[in-house]
Amino acid sequence: MHELPQQLVNGLLLGSMYGLVAIGYTMVYGIVQLINFAHGEIFMIGGFGGLSVWLLLPSGTSMLLALPLMIIGAIVIATLVAIGAERFAYRPLRNAPRLAPLITAIGLSLALQQAVWAWYPDAKSSVVFPQLPGGPFHLGSVTIQTGDVFLLIAAPVSMAFLGFFVQKTRTGRGMQATAQDPDTAKLMGINTDRIIMIAFALGAAFAAIGAVAYGLKYGEVQFKMGFLLGLKAFTAAVLGGIGNIYGAMIGGLVLGLAETLTTVYVSEIPGMQQLGGQSWGNTWAFVLLILVLLFRPQGLLGQRVADRA
Amino acid sequence: MTSTTTDITTKAATGDGIALPEKAARALATGGGALTVISCFLAWTWTAAYPGNLTVYGYPGGLQWLVLVSGALTTLFGLSSYGIKGLKWLTPGGADAAVKFAALATLWTTLFTAWSISDTLGGLVNLEPGGFVAVAAALATYLGARALPFERPVLDPADPEDSTWEQYKHNARNRREIVKAAYAAKAPAPAKPLPAWAEILVIAAVLGVALGVFTYGITTPYQELFIGFLITAGFGFAALHKAGLIARFTTLTARHRNVALVGAFVAAAAFPLTQTDDQYATLGVNILIFATVALGLNIVVGLTGLLDLGYVAFLGVGAYTAALVSGSPNSPFGVHLPFWAAILLGALASMVFGVLIGAPTLRLRGDYLAIVTLGFGEIFRISMNNMDGKSGPDITNGPNGIAGVPNVNLFGFDFGAAHTIAGFTIGRFANYFLLMLAITFIVVMVFRRSAESRIGRAWVAIREDETAAEAMGINGFRVKLIAFALGATLAGLAGAVQAHVNYTVTPDQYVFANAVPPNSAFLLAAVVLGGMGTISGPLVGGALLFLIPNKLQGMGDLQLFAFGVALIVLMRLRPEGIIPNRRNQLELHKDLEAPTVLSKAGA
Amino acid sequence: MTTTTTTTAAPAETVLDARGVTMRFGGLTAVKNVDLTVRSGEIVGLIGPNGAGKTTFFNCLTGLYIPTEGEVRYKGTVLPPKSFKVTSAGIARTFQNIRLFNNMTVLENVLVGRHTRTKEGLWSALLRLPGFHKEEAASREKAMELLEFIGLAHKAEHLARNLPYGEQRKLEIARALASDPGLILLDEPTAGMNPQETRAAEELIFAIRDKGIAVLVIEHDMRFIFNLCDRVACLVQGEKLIEGTAGEVQSDERVVAAYLGEPFEGAPGAEEVAEVEAAEAHAEEDHEAEAPADTPADDTPADDDTPAADSTTSTTTDGEAK
Repeated sequence: MHELPQQLVNGLLLGSMYGLVAIGYTMVYGIVQLINFAHGEIFMIGGFGGLSVWLLLPSGTSMLLALPLMIIGAIVIATLVAIGAERFAYRPLRNAPRLAPLITAIGLSLALQQAVWAWYPDAKSSVVFPQLPGGPFHLGSVTIQTGDVFLLIAAPVSMAFLGFFVQKTRTGRGMQATAQDPDTAKLMGINTDRIIMIAFALGAAFAAIGAVAYGLKYGEVQFKMGFLLGLKAFTAAVLGGIGNIYGAMIGGLVLGLAETLTTVYVSEIPGMQQLGGQSWGNTWAFVLLILVLLFRPQGLLGQRVADRA
Repeated sequence: MTSTTTDITTKAATGDGIALPEKAARALATGGGALTVISCFLAWTWTAAYPGNLTVYGYPGGLQWLVLVSGALTTLFGLSSYGIKGLKWLTPGGADAAVKFAALATLWTTLFTAWSISDTLGGLVNLEPGGFVAVAAALATYLGARALPFERPVLDPADPEDSTWEQYKHNARNRREIVKAAYAAKAPAPAKPLPAWAEILVIAAVLGVALGVFTYGITTPYQELFIGFLITAGFGFAALHKAGLIARFTTLTARHRNVALVGAFVAAAAFPLTQTDDQYATLGVNILIFATVALGLNIVVGLTGLLDLGYVAFLGVGAYTAALVSGSPNSPFGVHLPFWAAILLGALASMVFGVLIGAPTLRLRGDYLAIVTLGFGEIFRISMNNMDGKSGPDITNGPNGIAGVPNVNLFGFDFGAAHTIAGFTIGRFANYFLLMLAITFIVVMVFRRSAESRIGRAWVAIREDETAAEAMGINGFRVKLIAFALGATLAGLAGAVQAHVNYTVTPDQYVFANAVPPNSAFLLAAVVLGGMGTISGPLVGGALLFLIPNKLQGMGDLQLFAFGVALIVLMRLRPEGIIPNRRNQLELHKDLEAPTVLSKAGA
Repeated sequence: MTTTTTTTAAPAETVLDARGVTMRFGGLTAVKNVDLTVRSGEIVGLIGPNGAGKTTFFNCLTGLYIPTEGEVRYKGTVLPPKSFKVTSAGIARTFQNIRLFNNMTVLENVLVGRHTRTKEGLWSALLRLPGFHKEEAASREKAMELLEFIGLAHKAEHLARNLPYGEQRKLEIARALASDPGLILLDEPTAGMNPQETRAAEELIFAIRDKGIAVLVIEHDMRFIFNLCDRVACLVQGEKLIEGTAGEVQSDERVVAAYLGEPFEGAPGAEEVAEVEAAEAHAEEDHEAEAPADTPADDTPADDDTPAADSTTSTTTDGEAK
């Protein structure tokens, strides 16, 4: 199990999940310079949205039929919550001092997490998430668990869609313009309120896909899962260069790889036997964040210069 | 020309169209207050099953005392509004708004009591006639106060051609303006200076009362009384504020700063002496720890504008360090350093971590710091959990934590034992309360002295505009790092005491958010709620945020949810906190001087 | 209030000596090989059309940017590449869109300006060492003197944000003067002022010069600058077109052409202005990721190249921005 190719694949899979969530951080940050702490909770709510759809379907529904519906359910709920948060919590504070929206975000994050904990049936501990049938699949020496297959497909497809959206559609270009200079964008007739809302919604949608992937991968969802995952997704966004959408994905992959590889191999370094293993993975991810900030604060890809008009 | 519009909006604002002549309204409010006071001497219910024993004629009990205080306050302000000689000093800022808030205190405390009695005992039948008298009197007070005239703002009526939603929004805005005007008070005229000794006496008296109120709040034995206390204290404080008394007192304390500071600490030190057992002194120590840590955080957040979301981890570093070197049986080091060495080591360790975290991140934009500190807080907990000898090196005994931290022994004085000094018995927690008070004093002095110096000005300049501050020759990174490390050090100091107070240090005490303070989210909230950049703000905010979850066990499940919602609402409505800092006050003052369009339109 | 106020033309020491300053952002050259000297007791003006690179050049002088090529010397020593070190070396500046510390009092703003000339650190503040009160008192005295000088002493305890616009500009100058500079750089000191205020500003700048402080000023108002300055340099497309007395520059036809917008070797079009803006914004992020992102959007009518550099910082993080 400890061979390198297998670990690389595991790391990339984990990383692409981070990447999906990181997109939301990076997009919102790119446009309104706000760290949306509540994004981790949006991710979590997406997971419960998907689960709800499954629970509402008649039992015995084929997973292949249910999965698309679950994804849609997850996206719809996460997006609605994100839009509501933007409209009622963040927008009134757009010109407030910098600390105000950050504190609002913390409040929102707690409120969402606790709401699910208190009112979602049986959510006081982990809730079982349905599984895809079949698998695991073997490719040479590499094994891919059934739960990971979805991620393997969803992550590249999402990325391709996002790339198309940002580059080819009017709204996508409006987003770039708003990110560059909201005031000018407004003067040019771009509805910045709408653009900001779309950024929140898109980020939530990708987070929801990530959440379904999380459920399939780990076989469960919990009300707490947004906190740590959100933190790591943010790390991924910073790694890739915050504000840079492709960077978020790259950052996610690098972080996933780093976490997986340190988990497995750190304990083989003499003198560090006790610092390896699953329980230290998070710590190493954090150390990586500190190192990146120290040596390459603009992130791996950096922020790209705008295309000239 | 505005009469038509104001009439329309008046209806919208009051709804019930109370139209009383001013004299009648004033008399009703004042008399109602007096009647409420009298009603407190009646029996409100028939059984002593409701806590506080409200069944006795002639002697108020429990919640009745609170109603009595608010009723008396209303009456006093009411009488003062008649211009009665000897009472005028009560309302330098105008009496009417004060009467209104005092009446609100009376009404809500009474209503809450009545509701709570019938809820606990099952139905309104459990109220004795005295209870109904009290409710009626409180209602009369409120209606009288409500009908008092005030200066109505000039408002534009909604445009009938707008969409219904737009009209609704416009009317809602107008209604808010009216309510604001109804409760508005003018800034009090500057007081005639008294001789210095008299002013100091006043400060001492006020501090004495404050100690009384605070002790009452801490020692409320049951939840209903605490809620009643919050209602009365909240509206009562607003009434005092509107009457201009708070402003007067602030001027006094500003004139005799050191006296006020020493007085406040003497009053606080008197708290354990009022306690016969350790039950509430325990609460007192923990409040003090929490509030002190919040004050340390205020240097980082309030003065320098750095958002530290993992601050509780620095408390944890201090606590763990002190616990490890103080001879706990769980400590692998097996040393037992004296307390002064342990506390210094704790502070030092926190400072080292502060520098390690701050150095890479403080060069960057502020948002990065927020997320890195958040990560640090989480990683700290995880690492402490892991270092149990199985998942990692054997240092912290994992989730079970380091238990059996021995009591502090300072110069032969054993903090674990009860001592009798001058007739007062001071128990274990009272000892620690006094020790912690000394730490609080240090932190207050550090805050005050650093804020009022070159370095403090540099912090505020950085908070205001970092690029400009750098262009003024301030080494932003260095100055921020000093603030961050100083904040961490102060937390470490408090942590070292905390380890000894609680005997045990476990990883679960140091998380980002939890139903029990201290945790990073609550600490931040204490700073924001109290008022950023002030000394008293975080202390008051900290005390409130510690007491509320502690006393309202009934809320249980929804506590954190309510907390999150409260943060969002607070940022919308009052981002400057309960006690705004001097600068905001200056600004508000400026606002009051500015000419505003007002028209006199009495009821 | 005319050029006749020039002081005695004594052989003066060179205060500022910029040689071959070039600033490139990626492939774009915003400032090309500019030389400029300022001698003590001089008021030097820097003019140029939109996007000419005046503010970029200013930022090179004050350590906000590190010039790609060339060097800047202050009284013979090469300037360090950090803005706070430049200030402590003796160059102070103001900003085009006023950047006061809004929630501090007027006096505190000036006291912050004293920062580099005072030493008391944290320990001294905490322990109130003997030197503390002495230095604090000296700083206050000096600050009050400066407020007296600009005529704001009566408002010392007001919040900076509550001052009217003209007084805010003055306060910014006082704050810069508090660091005892040998050279002060003023970025459009009269932007948004009415004629009376402009005249008062002129007087103030002469008074500063009479204190022995050299002045380098960017300005759009031609009459103002030709009245004020001993020498004027004109920057076009990042290159120094001409430098000379007010009269020489005023009569130079290339300057006239550049200002009237006649094509001059392909005058900077909107496109190029936008390029410079984008590049500057980007560079600023690279150089000082720590810059706070709260510059108020500029709304002065005299639109120079600065609003771009400054206001875009606040907003640009240029997303994925392909």
